[in-house]
Amino acid sequence: MNRVHLDPERGAVSSRRAWRHPLFAPLNQPESWDRLAGLVNPRWSFSESRATVVRIVDEAPDVKSLWLKPNARFGGFRPGQHVLLEIEIRGVRQGRCFSLSHAPRRDGLLRVTIKRKADGRVSGAAHALRAGEVVRISRAQGDFAARIPGSKLLMVCAGSGITPMVSLLHGLAATDPARDVVLVQAFRDVADALFADELRDLQARLPRLRVLGRITSAHGRLQAAELPALVADWDERETLLCGPDGYMQGLETMIADGARGATLQVESFGRRAAEIDPDAERHRVSLKNDERMFTVSAGASLLEGAEAAGLQPRFGCRRGICRTCSCRKVSGTVRNLLTGQLSGPGEELIQLCVSTPQSALELALPA
Amino acid sequence: MIAKTRLDPESLLRFERELDALRLEIAQDLGERDARHIRRVRGFAQGSAIAGRGLLMFGFGPVSWIAGVVGLALAKIVENMEIGHNVMHGQYDWMNDPSLASQSYEWDIVCDGDHWRHSHNVEHHDHTNIIGKDHDYGYGMLRLSDQQKWSPGYLLQPLWYLLLALNFQWGVAVHDIKIGRFLLGRMKLPEFRRRMQPFLRKAGRQLFKDYVLFPALAWWQWSRVLLGNLAANGIRNLWTNAIIFCGHFTEHAHTYTRKEVEHETRGQWYLRQVQGSSNLEGGRAFHLLTGHLSHQIEHHLFPDLPAPRYAEIAPRVREICARYGVHYNTGGFWRQYAGVIARLFKHAVPTRPHRESTSPA
Repeated sequence: MNRVHLDPERGAVSSRRAWRHPLFAPLNQPESWDRLAGLVNPRWSFSESRATVVRIVDEAPDVKSLWLKPNARFGGFRPGQHVLLEIEIRGVRQGRCFSLSHAPRRDGLLRVTIKRKADGRVSGAAHALRAGEVVRISRAQGDFAARIPGSKLLMVCAGSGITPMVSLLHGLAATDPARDVVLVQAFRDVADALFADELRDLQARLPRLRVLGRITSAHGRLQAAELPALVADWDERETLLCGPDGYMQGLETMIADGARGATLQVESFGRRAAEIDPDAERHRVSLKNDERMFTVSAGASLLEGAEAAGLQPRFGCRRGICRTCSCRKVSGTVRNLLTGQLSGPGEELIQLCVSTPQSALELALPA
Repeated sequence: MIAKTRLDPESLLRFERELDALRLEIAQDLGERDARHIRRVRGFAQGSAIAGRGLLMFGFGPVSWIAGVVGLALAKIVENMEIGHNVMHGQYDWMNDPSLASQSYEWDIVCDGDHWRHSHNVEHHDHTNIIGKDHDYGYGMLRLSDQQKWSPGYLLQPLWYLLLALNFQWGVAVHDIKIGRFLLGRMKLPEFRRRMQPFLRKAGRQLFKDYVLFPALAWWQWSRVLLGNLAANGIRNLWTNAIIFCGHFTEHAHTYTRKEVEHETRGQWYLRQVQGSSNLEGGRAFHLLTGHLSHQIEHHLFPDLPAPRYAEIAPRVREICARYGVHYNTGGFWRQYAGVIARLFKHAVPTRPHRESTSPA
């Protein structure tokens, strides 16, 4: 009997697999059903999580919050997690990760808070969204959260680094209102302070939450050495850091070295693709899911470079016609040798035989 | 036959640059319009398939049967030609949409996608009309140029052609296995088995779908569905075959020898693509049903630009060709197809390779 009770789950999986078998195509193709479901409601999908924008809130200059209603494929989340938000821009699907800025709610709504960057295509498109539009979101990812139950917390954030912190604070207010938390929040100007009202409300629900603001236009960036003066017991606290890479580095090193037994969690955003370097003679190419790395001379094709390094990517015509050598570029910029066109910095398909690196690259070479 | 044009190196370079510039201009303009087109066509093909299969399964009487066959044939033609063929060329890779990615798309035909990507995208598009290298030239069973060696089997080639046209999807499906090579002893058995495998898997799935699954779902109407599916596949075969044969085998389409293309520049490659291909004239619906292969010349110059763009750039390609004295081979369907059939009969009997005259540029 035991077996029968243990197996249903596995049975369910294998029957689902049988049902998914290509023999039954097109009847079992989720994409085909998605298109039909989409005629009724564009949020419905059998294969991907999508969400409708239900409300848009201006939080600060260039910062908006989008309240999203996800479909059933979105499997829930924990405070501190992020989602990949995908928007179609001029026909091209583009995605960026954004932290969820609220804890899970009873009405199931999600909130992402997005700062529009000067050169940010996705953040710009996200700001142009209107209520009622549907976006693609990934399932929740990441594990940014306090690890030690009941520990005293130190949260240090800058700019939109506040977003996962607010999510975590909402979570704590619901589950552990007695938690001792110090939040050090840096922002450029008073007008840029995000969630000021919401933090006041949170302080009412979390009596031991202390919020320290830092206006960087007046007092400069928070230096690691200033931390002990602000938070005397910093080295006893479990620390959560979130902000732009450069800003966080000093603090990260100091806390990692100085903290006594407490842990440090870091969530960094704005980790940008490598900068274009027109003067470099060779560019470094790293591979996703592979330890190997190689360099390619400026002006040479990635296919030649990979082969010179002893790799054997698939190829066909070697002159940009057949696409056999198509490969997913994870990050970095390439130039098309035939047309001279520059790629974007993010994830997209490129042809190895007619692409030459313009920056350091990361590729996902098919095995 | 209109003579082959050869260009002096300087004109050739200018010809190349003009076409490169045209390509860049379109590549930079790609956007929402192209994305909307392919999605709408995909929706149309799906709707047509549902309507066609629905009428075959649940309709009654001959009128609904014919309507069902037409709906399903239309769906298969559009899916194979305007969606499958074009998506697998990478025309929509820039959209970053996994359901339209060239290297993973699988189409509604017995030919395995990977086989097609090799025999078509690599061999045919790179080596277009080079006798001995472009295996699409005559499909290993037809003699369409005096540069191909004659043998008595070719006397019956009008009959072979009829059989190929009726079963065209099977011809396409076994194309990349290179059965001829195996029969001549130039391919070992294990290699042959390895090459057969994807074909058998894909063919099995297609046969199951059209001749077991859907007929079974129609219960007592199974025979109606089975015959309807057979007819729809047949119509698709005849149509795609006629269109594809008009692409490279018309009266004025040139062939090339391996020697001619040694050290070929990109400009010479462009020139070969123009002179080895031929266009069909017609309305918008006609172009869509051919998967825009009616603009074979533009397709062969820029195989990875979204196909509806071919119609847009055709007048400019034609104008460029005219300036360089390159013949732009175009005509109505019946005229071009008659040229193909004439060629089929002409080269069934031994024809002697005539020395090519070349016109000065």
